[in-house]
Amino acid sequence: MKFLKPLFTLVLFVVIAGTENLQAQDYYAYVAAESEDMVHLIHFNAETQQATIAETIEVGRYPTETDGPHGITVAPDGKHWFVSIAHGNPYGMLAKYSTETNKLVSTTDLGMFPASMEISEVTGLLYVVNFNLHGEMKPSSVSVVEPESMTRITDIETGIMPHGSRIGASGKYQYHVSMMTDELIQINTQTLEVSKRFKLSETKGGMSGHKDMDHSKMEHKPVEKPTWAHPHPTKPLIYVAANGSDELLEINTKKWEITQRYKTGKAPYNLEVTPDGKYVVVTYKGEGATGIWDLEEGKEVAKIENSRKVSHGVTISPDSKYAFISVEGIGGEPGSVEVINLQTLERVDVVETGKQAGGIYFWKQS
Amino acid sequence: MGKAVKFLLIIFVIGSYQVSAQDTTGEESQVQIVVENDNLELNVGDEAVINAKVVDSEGTTLADTLIFFSRNRRALSVTRDGHIKALKPGTYNVFIFKTQQNGNPRLRSQATVNVIYPPLDRIAFNTTPEQLYEGTSIQLEARVYDKLDFHREDLEVDNITSSNPEVAEVDKFGKLRAKSPGSFTITALIEDVTTEWSSEVIANPVTSVDLSVNSDVVRTGDVINITAVPKDQNGNVVQDAPVTYSFTAQPDDDRGPAAPAQIEQDGRFVANKSGLYTIMAKNASTISETTVRVNPRNVSQKIEVVGHGEVTDVPTSDLWVWEGVDGKDYAVTGTHVGRGEAFFWDVSDPENMVTIDTVTVDARVVNDVKVSEDGRIAVISREGASNRKNGLVILDVTDPANVKILSRFDDGLTGGVHNVFIYEDHVYAINNGRRYDIINIEDPENPYRVSKFELDTPGHSVHDVWIEDGVAYSSNWTDGVVAVDVGSNMSGEMQGAGGSPENPKKLGSFTYPSGWNHAAFPFKSQSTDDFYVIAGDETFPDGIPAGWIHFFKLNSWEEAEEVARYEVPEAGTHNLWVKDDVLYVAYYQGGLRIVDISGELMGNLYDQGREIAKFLPKAGEGRSPNSPMAWGPQPYKDLIFVADMNSGLWALKLQPVEETASAE
Repeated sequence: MKFLKPLFTLVLFVVIAGTENLQAQDYYAYVAAESEDMVHLIHFNAETQQATIAETIEVGRYPTETDGPHGITVAPDGKHWFVSIAHGNPYGMLAKYSTETNKLVSTTDLGMFPASMEISEVTGLLYVVNFNLHGEMKPSSVSVVEPESMTRITDIETGIMPHGSRIGASGKYQYHVSMMTDELIQINTQTLEVSKRFKLSETKGGMSGHKDMDHSKMEHKPVEKPTWAHPHPTKPLIYVAANGSDELLEINTKKWEITQRYKTGKAPYNLEVTPDGKYVVVTYKGEGATGIWDLEEGKEVAKIENSRKVSHGVTISPDSKYAFISVEGIGGEPGSVEVINLQTLERVDVVETGKQAGGIYFWKQS
Repeated sequence: MGKAVKFLLIIFVIGSYQVSAQDTTGEESQVQIVVENDNLELNVGDEAVINAKVVDSEGTTLADTLIFFSRNRRALSVTRDGHIKALKPGTYNVFIFKTQQNGNPRLRSQATVNVIYPPLDRIAFNTTPEQLYEGTSIQLEARVYDKLDFHREDLEVDNITSSNPEVAEVDKFGKLRAKSPGSFTITALIEDVTTEWSSEVIANPVTSVDLSVNSDVVRTGDVINITAVPKDQNGNVVQDAPVTYSFTAQPDDDRGPAAPAQIEQDGRFVANKSGLYTIMAKNASTISETTVRVNPRNVSQKIEVVGHGEVTDVPTSDLWVWEGVDGKDYAVTGTHVGRGEAFFWDVSDPENMVTIDTVTVDARVVNDVKVSEDGRIAVISREGASNRKNGLVILDVTDPANVKILSRFDDGLTGGVHNVFIYEDHVYAINNGRRYDIINIEDPENPYRVSKFELDTPGHSVHDVWIEDGVAYSSNWTDGVVAVDVGSNMSGEMQGAGGSPENPKKLGSFTYPSGWNHAAFPFKSQSTDDFYVIAGDETFPDGIPAGWIHFFKLNSWEEAEEVARYEVPEAGTHNLWVKDDVLYVAYYQGGLRIVDISGELMGNLYDQGREIAKFLPKAGEGRSPNSPMAWGPQPYKDLIFVADMNSGLWALKLQPVEETASAE
C-alpha cells in the first residue's frame, strides 16, 4: 500500500501539468472590425465571466480609406496571426502579425476580396479564399500561401464566391463552399488541387457532384447559397451553413452525400463544431441570433439572441467551453463579441468592438 | 482500493499524453531535404528540374513529396514538382517545402539557381553626329544590350575613348568636347564588346549669339522664355549650331538660399527666389548674356474664418455647396466610418452654418456627395452597408430642410460606390474600384444603367471621376488619369471622339511612375489658354499622408507633358479644385492650400512663392482634437468651403490684397 502515496503524488503532478487547459481561466481571440480597419484582441476571464478588449491593432493600407479586414486566423503554433484585407487597388492582401507584439511582420498580395482562411498543421500552408464578393459571376480561387516567407505559392481555381475556408482534422483537406454554385469543395492540401466538388442543391436525393464538373457552364441560380463549411473533429462529416435556404447541412465525406438537413434560424452564416464534437454553433445573420445544435440529438438546444443585428463569425475554445460570436451591427452601431458558455448554453458577456465585427479566431487559453 | 489505482492510472494516461506527443516530434527532426543539384546554372530559356529528396538519418530516401515554389515567378518559373524555366538573368532561390507526411515533420529548404546573363551583343550610343562644331560639346550615353536584346541596365560603359583627343576628347562622365578641326573616332568598350563611330570637328562659324527674353522683370514663378540665335560673321543664322543655357544668381536673400532658379535647355527659365539673374546663351566660346530682375510674387493673402460647422463625433468626408432653388446657399457633407449619414447645411449665413436635415442610410461610409446643376437632385454613395449591397442613393434636395429619398440604386454596385459625379442627368458611379457605371437619372425615381467604362489593363483600378465639357477624367492609380468622351463639346486639338453616356470613348491617358493617382481636375488657364489636367496623389508611406499635385500640359489627347508640380513636403494631397487660375487643394494634415497657378507653369510651385494662403482646420475637441485633416475644398461665390475629417465644415474668405508687387 505504501506505493500508493508516491504514485498519487506523481499522478497529481502529471494531471496538473497535463490538464492545464482544462482549468483555463484566460481565453483570447482575435476579431476583425471590417468597417473600422481594426483588429481587437479579446480577453475573456472565465472566473469573472467578463470579456474585455485587451488590445486594438489598426490594420490596412490607407488610413483614410476603409480597407476591410475580413478573415482572420492564428498559426497553429500561436506565434502569428493573419488577417485578410478585402479591398485594394484592386487586389486584397494578407497581413501577418506577431501575437507577441501585435506588430505587422509582412504582407503579400492576394486576389479579389480575400476572406476566410486557415493553416493546415500538416502542410503548414495557409489556404485563403478569394471571395470576390462584388465581382463578376465567374470562378474565383483559393490562394495558397507559405506563411513563413509569405509567398503566394499558387491559386487554385474554385467556385463562384468561395467562402469559409476550414481545414479538416487530419490536415489533409481544406473545405470551403462556393456560394453561387451551391457547392462544397474539398482541396487536397498536399497536391494543392481540388479533390472534390459536391453539389449541395442537386443532392437532395443523395446525388454527389464530380470534381471534373464544368462549373463554368452551370446556371448560377443558387438555392442553398452556402456560406461556411466546418469539418467535424473526429467524424467524416462536414457541416455547412446554407444561408439561402435557412438550413444546416451535414455531409458525409465517406459517402459524399447529405446525411442531415436541419431547418435553422434565418440566414445561417458561419458555424463551428466544438472540438469535443458535441455541438455545432451557428450564427444566424438574418435574425441576430446564435443557434447551438446538439449533434447527437440532432436538434437545436439553444437559440441565443445576440445583442445586435447581423451575426457573423464564431470561434470556440479548444476546451469546448466557450463560443465567441462576432456580431456586425448596422451603420454606426459598434460591433460586438459575445461570449456563450457552452455548458450553461447562456450568453455570459458582450464586449463592444469597432464597426462590423466579422472574422474571429481563437488564439489561446491559459 | 483497486478502483482508486485504476482511476489514478487513467488520469495518468490522460495527463501524460502531451508529453509523449512532444517526444515523438523530437525524434522526427532527423529527416532532412537533400538538394542534389543546388547552384544550378541556366541560360535564359533553359528548363531544368530541381532534384531534391527527403532522407532519414541513415540517408535512406523517403517517399515524402516536395513542393517547389519561387518568389520570382516572372524571372524563374517553378512548377510545384520542381520544373523550372529561366526567364530573366539573375540569381534566385527556389523554396522547397515538405508537408507533414508519413509521420515525418514539415521541412523547408531552398536551392539556388543562377540564370546566366546572355553574352553581350552591342553598345548603342544615344547620338552619333557626323560633324560637330569646334568648341561645342555633347553628352554621350552608351547602352549595353545582350544577345537576347535585353538592355543591361546593371552595366555601365566607362571605357569611352577618342582616337584623337586633340580634336575631340571624352571625359569620365561621357561629355564629348569638340576641341579643334579634324577627324576622330569614338570607341566604347565593355568586356569583349566594342563599338565605334567616326566623326569630324569642323570650324565653327558662329561669332555671335543674339539673346532675348520675353520679359526682363518678372515675379518668382513666372516662366521666362529665352530666344538665342547663333550667327556667323556675316550675320547669317547658323541653324544647326547648338546653344546651351545657364545662369548666375544674385538672390535678394543671399544667406544661403536653396536652389534659386532652374533653366531648361529648351530656353525656359523660372526663379524661386527674388533677385537678379544673369542668363547666358553659349555656343563654343561665343557667349551672350542678359540680366533679368525677379521680384517677389507677393500673392499671399490673409484668410478669414467666416464660419465653422463643427462635426467632431464622426469623420467628415466630401462636400458640395450649391445654390438652392429658393436662391439660398446650401451644403451637404458626407461621413466616413460613421453612421451612414449625410448632413445638409444652410450656409446662406456662413457665419452661422447650421444643419437643417440629416439623411441616414444603411452604410458606414458616405464617402461622396454631389448635387445636380439645377440644385434639385443629390446623390450620395454607400459603402459598408449591413446587407453588403451598397450602391448609391438619389435624393430630392429641392427643399434641403426636408430631403427626400427618391430611390436607391445598388444593381451591380454591391462592391460599394466610393465616388460619384452628376453630369447632364447621368450619375457616374465608381463601382467597386474597378470601373465607373453611367446611370441615367432623368427620372430620378427610376434610375437605370446605360453603360460602363472599364480599363482592360492588368490589375486596373479606378478611384474617382470628374466631368467637364463632356469629358470624364478618371483617376486610376497606376493607370493614371484617363480622359473619356461622354459627350464632349471641346474643339480643335482637344476635340472629342463622338462619345456619349451610352457609348463612352477613351480619348487618352497620362500616367506617372509612382502610381498614386487619386484625383484629377481639368482646367484651361485663363492667363495662357493652355489646357492642363491636374493629377493628385494619395499615398501613406509609413502611415503618413504624402504625395503631390502633378500638372500635365496637353497639346492633344495623345500628347501630355508633366511640366510642373505643387509639392508640400510635409503633407499629403487629397481633393482639389481650380477656379480662375487658382488651385484649392486639401492637403490632409497640411490643411487647405490656395495656390496661384496663373501663367506658364514650370518647376515646383511650392518653392515659387505662389502659395496665396493656407489654413489648418481644427477643433479643440472631439475624436481627434487639434488635428487638421483637410478632405476637400470648394470655392463658391466669394467664399471657400472646406471639409475637414476631424472638425467638419468651414467657410473661409480671402481678405483683399493689400499690396501686390507687379512685374513692372
